Order: sequence, then C-alpha cells, then structure tokens
Amino acid sequence: MEGPTKRFGNKPQIAFFDFACCEGCQLSVLQLEERLLDILELVDVVTWREAMSEYSNDYDIAFCEGSITREQDIERVREIREQAAILVTLGSCASGGCHNDLKNQWEMDEMLALVYGDQAEHFDTIPSRPITAVVEVDYKIYGCPVSLAEFVTVVKRILTGQSYEPPNQPVCVECKLNDHLCVLEKGEVCLGPVTRGGCDAICTGFGDACQGCRGLMDAANVGAMLKALTREQAHAIVRKVVERYGFTQDDIETKLRIYNNWPELNLEEIAANDD
Amino acid sequence: MIEHDNVSPAEDITRSYQPELARVIGKWQMTELMVLLRLQTESGENLEHEPGQFLQVSLPGYGEAPISFCSSPTQTDSFELCVQAVGNLSEAMHDLRPGDFVGVRGPYGHGFPIAEMEGRDILIVAGGIGIAPLRSLINYIADRRSDFGRGIVVYGARTPSDRLFLDDVAAWDARADLETYFSVDEPDDTWTGMTGVVTVPLRGVEIDPDRTTAAVVGPPVMYRYVAMELLAKDMREDDILFSLERRFKCGMGKCGHCQLNDLYVCQDGPVFRYTQLLGRSEAIEVWAPEEQKG
Amino acid sequence: MPTELVMTHEAVPGFFGRLIDEGPVMGPRERARQPGFHHFDWLDSADDLVLEYQTTTIPPKKAFFPPRDVLFEFDLTDPPEFRAVRDATPFTLVGVHPCDLEGLRLLDDAYAQEPAEACWPANRARARIIGVDCTPDEYCFCTSVGSCHSRAACDLFLTPIERGRLVEVLTGAGEEMLRVSDVTEASDEDHAQAQQWRDDKEAAVTAGLDASPAEFADLLATGDFTDIWHEISSRCYSCGSCNTTCPTCFCFDINDEFDLGLTGGRRVRTWDSCQLAEFALVAGGHNFRRLRWQRVKHRWHRKFDYLYREFGTPYCTGCGRCSRACTADINIVDVSNQIIEAARQGVQG
Repeated sequence: MEGPTKRFGNKPQIAFFDFACCEGCQLSVLQLEERLLDILELVDVVTWREAMSEYSNDYDIAFCEGSITREQDIERVREIREQAAILVTLGSCASGGCHNDLKNQWEMDEMLALVYGDQAEHFDTIPSRPITAVVEVDYKIYGCPVSLAEFVTVVKRILTGQSYEPPNQPVCVECKLNDHLCVLEKGEVCLGPVTRGGCDAICTGFGDACQGCRGLMDAANVGAMLKALTREQAHAIVRKVVERYGFTQDDIETKLRIYNNWPELNLEEIAANDD
Repeated sequence: MIEHDNVSPAEDITRSYQPELARVIGKWQMTELMVLLRLQTESGENLEHEPGQFLQVSLPGYGEAPISFCSSPTQTDSFELCVQAVGNLSEAMHDLRPGDFVGVRGPYGHGFPIAEMEGRDILIVAGGIGIAPLRSLINYIADRRSDFGRGIVVYGARTPSDRLFLDDVAAWDARADLETYFSVDEPDDTWTGMTGVVTVPLRGVEIDPDRTTAAVVGPPVMYRYVAMELLAKDMREDDILFSLERRFKCGMGKCGHCQLNDLYVCQDGPVFRYTQLLGRSEAIEVWAPEEQKG
Repeated sequence: MPTELVMTHEAVPGFFGRLIDEGPVMGPRERARQPGFHHFDWLDSADDLVLEYQTTTIPPKKAFFPPRDVLFEFDLTDPPEFRAVRDATPFTLVGVHPCDLEGLRLLDDAYAQEPAEACWPANRARARIIGVDCTPDEYCFCTSVGSCHSRAACDLFLTPIERGRLVEVLTGAGEEMLRVSDVTEASDEDHAQAQQWRDDKEAAVTAGLDASPAEFADLLATGDFTDIWHEISSRCYSCGSCNTTCPTCFCFDINDEFDLGLTGGRRVRTWDSCQLAEFALVAGGHNFRRLRWQRVKHRWHRKFDYLYREFGTPYCTGCGRCSRACTADINIVDVSNQIIEAARQGVQG
C-alpha cells in the first residue's frame, strides 16, 4: 500500500468555513482538545477563523458548516468547491437541513421585514438550503452539532482514501447498544425511531428525547410514528404520553420540521412512503 | 444439501476472526473496475479450496469482505482473487502492489460438488463477473479433462471491454476438448461474436440432459432465465447448480447476514442445487418473474 | 435433585459482598439518575445489587457478547501484525432470571454449531452465574416457550422464601461459591414456600402463545401470512430494538477502525439487527430483504421456525423485551397469536 495519506503529497492543508449557522459545529471540533493535536500531526490547518488569525486560500480539504441563505453564499461556496480537492459539510445545516430552513415557510420579503424592519432594503435573503443542495460534496457529517467521534472517523477516512456513508439506521440502535433507558418509558416523545443515527445516542444517554437533529434516515417509517403516537391502539406507554400531552400529528410535524424542512417537509407524502 | 467431507474445522479457533497473512505476488488490471491478484500464504500452506468456495479477505483498517477463489485448486503454489472496485476495501485492494499483504481466513462454504460431477458433461453458464468463480471450475476441468465428459462454457458479458480473463478465454476457445460460446449485450465495432444476454448463446447449446450438470454464476437477475433455458433442455432441477451472492461478515453461519430462509449461504452454499432454492421464498434469484409480487 | 439450602436475608449481603471482593460481579442494579429502572452492570458493593427487579432493557448476554467487541488489534507494520486482546478475567454474573438463563443456553447452542465461534464460549468459561426467580409482568410469556423454570447455565439459583432465599446448588462451581456461614439446611417448610413461589409465578404469567412451539413452527412454515406481515410492517420503524433487546439474537456486523495516528487500529464486532434496512444489502447494491415486510417476516421465521427446526426449541425465551421495547406496539405474543388464528381458520394472507 502507498500508505494512509496517499491522496495528498505531504500533510494536507485543511480549512474551516462557516455559512449561516451558530458555529457550534466548529466549536465542537475545537473541543476535541488533545485529540486535535493528534490530528495536527497528520494535517496542517491553514484557515479557521474561529480558532486562529492566519488565513490562506490554498487548501486541500474544506470543512464547511452552515446553510446557504443569500445569493453571495452560493458564489462563495462554489469558490470553495473549486479550490478544495475534498469538501466536507459539517453539521446538519450544511448536510441536510436545520433550523435555518424553517424560514422557508414564509415569503422572503416577509422574513426580511420581520427581522430587519425598515432597514430590510439593505439585506437580501433567499430560501435557506444546505450546502449539499448547491454543490457536490464528498463527505457529509450530520448532527446539531456534529459528533466528535464521527468527525474523527471522517478525518481518518479522508486521510486513508476511504469514502464515508453516514449511518442509515435510527438512533434507537445506538441507544440500545449503549443500554440507555428508552425515553418513551419516561413518558417523553422521542424522534429516535425515525432519525438517522451516528450520534451514539448522546441525548437519550442523558435522558433527553431525540430531537431528530440528523434528519430522517432513508426509508424512515414516519407513517408508523403517526400510527403509534396518534391512534387508539398505540403502545401503552405512548398512549399515556398522548393522554398527558395531547400529542397530535401537528406536534410531530412541528418537531420533524426543525431538521427536515429542506426541501419543504411534506408529512403526508413521507408518511405514505412505506416500503 | 450437497454433502462434502471438508467442513471447515472448528478446532482452529484462532481463525474464527483473526486472519493469516497472504502476500501479493502478481497483479493484473483486467478492466477499469476489475483487478486480478495472485497471492501466496505467508505460511506457505496451500489453502486447499474447492472451486466455488470463498475466502474472507481483509486489509487492516479497510475491513473484510468475501471473495470467491478464481484460480483452480490444481494451481497449488498460489491462489487468485478477482476484485471489483465497489467500496473502500476493494478500492484499497486495487492499490495493492506485489509484496504487499492482505489478511485471509477460510476457505468457507460449499463449492461445486466435484466428486459427483466427475464423469458427467459440465455446462458452465457465466454472466458478467460470475466468470470469476467459474474460472476456478473451468480451469480445474481443463486440467483434469479426462475426469469429465463434455466441457461447455457459455459466457456473456455486458460489453466487449467488460470481458474478463481474456487469456484464459482464448485458451479455452483454442482447446478442441472445450466448447465455448460467447456473447455480449452491447457489442462494439470490435465484436464479432454473438449479441445478447447469456441465454442467447445458451439456447443454441445442445446437451444430453441425462448426463449434464450445469454450473451457473451471474447477477441475481440472470438465474431464473437461465433456469428456464436449462429446463427447456429437459435438464433435471437437481443437476442445476447456482452459486449465490449474499453478504457474509463471518463465514461461519453466525453473523446472520447471508441467511436465505433457513439456510446460511456462507455454510450451506454458496453453491446450491436449483431444487434447494425452489421451495425457498428468499431465493429471489430463482423466482419466476410473475411470482415477484409485493 | 440438586442440593437445596437456605440463605437467610441476613446472610445475603455478606455472600454477595464476598463475591464482589473476590472479583468483578455483574448484576442488576438501579440506573443512575433513573430510579425504578434497572440494568445489568458491574456492582461496586452488595448494596448495588437489586434481586427483585423488572426485566432489563438489554439482556445479560452482553456480559459474554458485548454490544461492541474488539476482536483483535492490528499494527500497520510490514507485514501487518494482528494482536488478540481477549480479556480472560474471571467474573460472576448474578441475578439472572430463568428466561435469561435459557437465553444463554440458546446462544451456547447457536455459537457452538459447527464451525464453532470462539469468543462466546471463551467468555462463558470466564463466568460463574447465579440465577434468581422473578415476578412476571404483562409482557412475560415464558410458560409458552418452556423457560419459566429454566435452570440452564447457572451454578446457583435463588428462590425467595420467607426467611431468605432457597438456594439450588446446580454445579460444583456453585458449591464452591458457598461457605458454611452462608447457608443452612432447608426445611420442608422452606421447600414448600419455594414451590409456592414457583406456582404463583407460573399462575401470574398472563400472556401466552395459543399454540405449542412445535405447532407454531409448522403453521409458520406452511402458511402464507403476507397480509399480516404487511399490516405489521406498516407499523414497524425497522429500528431494530426487537433484536437489540433480544436475549437470543446473535447476529453481528464487523468493521475496522484506524487509530488516530493511522498506524494501527482494531477490528470490531457490533450487534446487528435483521430488521435494519441494509442488513441484507450486498456490495453490488442488491438488497435481498429490501422490503420492510420481508424483514418482519424473517424475524418471526427465524425465531419460531428456522432455528426451532435447527435446535429443537424456539429462539425465544418469552422474556417480552421486544414487545416492551417496541414503541410502535408490535407485540410478539399478539402477532404470533394473530398468525396462529389466521392459520387455523385457513384465512391466510
């Protein structure tokens, strides 16, 4: 074999970029702390606004977080795509869909006026979309924020010339493998059964319900969730939840929309997609 | 069930998961996606496979996958694997160079039942990369020619440039004691042979159904059509052998991935009689098209 | 009949405390920050042990087949080196219900089938096991699959009686665990109370299959229940929780991980589930169980038909974990009985 870093001459140059987002994914990467030092043995970071003041437009691997919400974002991400041999989307905003896309439910003019009032004319906005909707990407890391373990996995895959497919199994799998208590047992509604895993079920490990931050997995049975949580013959535990909170289809839809509104969430359509 | 003597030994528990080393001693790029590797175990031991058996092959860090032997057991100092670049492991294997190592464990599964095939006419039907495991059988028959009756090779590929083992194919074609029929689905200017899927040349092959055993390997969609052709030639279902592809993670009938109804393809197969598959709903390769409902 | 002794309430903490002093002990304990819910975990002291607990989410098979198990490590030297990393430390597994004892036995059989798997028996050989009797809930149906009074795989078995526990000594290893101070002779009254407990327990199992395992296997094998599978699968998330909580599921995946330095790594075995969409996907892209109903059907056949025929017992212990874990309310007893009824009425799918 030519060795693990065969794809690049020496140490590849990496850069971090952000689009519309909370920059929490970058912050998470910084929280790798000493593991970051191990990564720096393998790569050189040349651009990372959140972590350093130096800047270079010469890089091999670009990590991009955030959503595309303005015309100039499209141009900028295309330039990055042009330069980078490898483009990695960091987090759900960039990879599949996130809070930003919620604004797409309204007219853009309306949104501008709501946010900027009489200064609205100085700003432009377009319907929010993930980076994956604008340019080809080589690696996707879902999550809000990203899981550090998955970030490290993807870095290793890139450096060893391997592709990475985000897990296509629900959060329940990792929840059980970690022997967590099912959040439904505590009477909370959890999106785990339909949400793409890969997070190591961190939220349910802390006793919190899954918010669905990695979006629906492929072939998620949303129809089953509607049946389980809203109709009479639902699971006994679920039935208690329905009684206690008056859980409705709208509630599920609202919760699902947060990370699945690009392209616009159509619950009926998704629920009918039962393979 | 096909009965064999050499069921994988349980006593060698270190080989449950931990591979032994094999060294690449030759490499040939056959097509853009297919590479042929010749390997030797580092221990020098012959793996003693049967045609149709497979090996779990791995590169540390890139994972492990089942790959059929494509060399004949009569080639004792080395063995050959044909690797299609379809994922991380197989792509990394395309980067291997002579002198590099891979991990191997096996052989696993039941191959073609050579003992009962001896003395009979052998009709080999290969579709696409199905030629790889069948090359092991064809070359075995070629090397033990007097042990078998007629040797008939029918090989269909998608395009001329997808055809594999061109040297072998030419050698089979040149032998007077092997009958060869080749076709491609999508011919180009260079192609002078038959056009059509593998059933097209197969239809023209005349056999004595009482003394013929068919060995068939190809893409899932191929099996049912080949079966129809063979039955139309009055072959017995018991004499038709199919080698199936499933996902094998362990090779020991434990990981569950290759289960086909009550059978483990990695243990009970991968070579099955058509009769074994007919009663099994998950052998979807052999269902007649109208039975593919819901 | 095995030797039966009595361990008084007063003697119980001392006995388990001594086991914990001797070496690692795994048993049912309350989940941190989640009072009232228990799981199998390592015990720090006898106070942690809860002998009367409701069925855990994950069965105790995890003591021998961890959800994530490093098979071996490797160094990317030339040639590469492989290094076994099996932990050989002896340990004790305590507080195992009869259904879960039966689960261990079934996995003993499955992994021992030729060609035998090496990790499971190696880990089983490390452990002494103490079973305890239990109180069924509405999901339990052990009486339908013959696991209600199982004493498989264990060295000692404890049944509650008024003055403590009746201790069945089932193996030499069990005998060795006991000291004279731990136990006293059992009286007729002790035996009678233990028997009463067993009778009460059996009577408390309210759920059940409407056919014997043998009949159910035949009905499954001969009938076509496609409509039922379609209905069930319309409610199924394919989340795999029925598998990942099952004491008899033994499927797994194997994957490699590099170390961060990229100079070595490990090959890891992880629990897998036949209900997950990509379980039967092959490298070329063909998925041999692509449709949800095919996967749901496969699970029932594997539990009650295929493995029943292979091993002579259903691969189901009646523990009810899959039904408890199913957030879509797919109950193994209800569905099985639906199939049995459809088969008997000849109203098949």
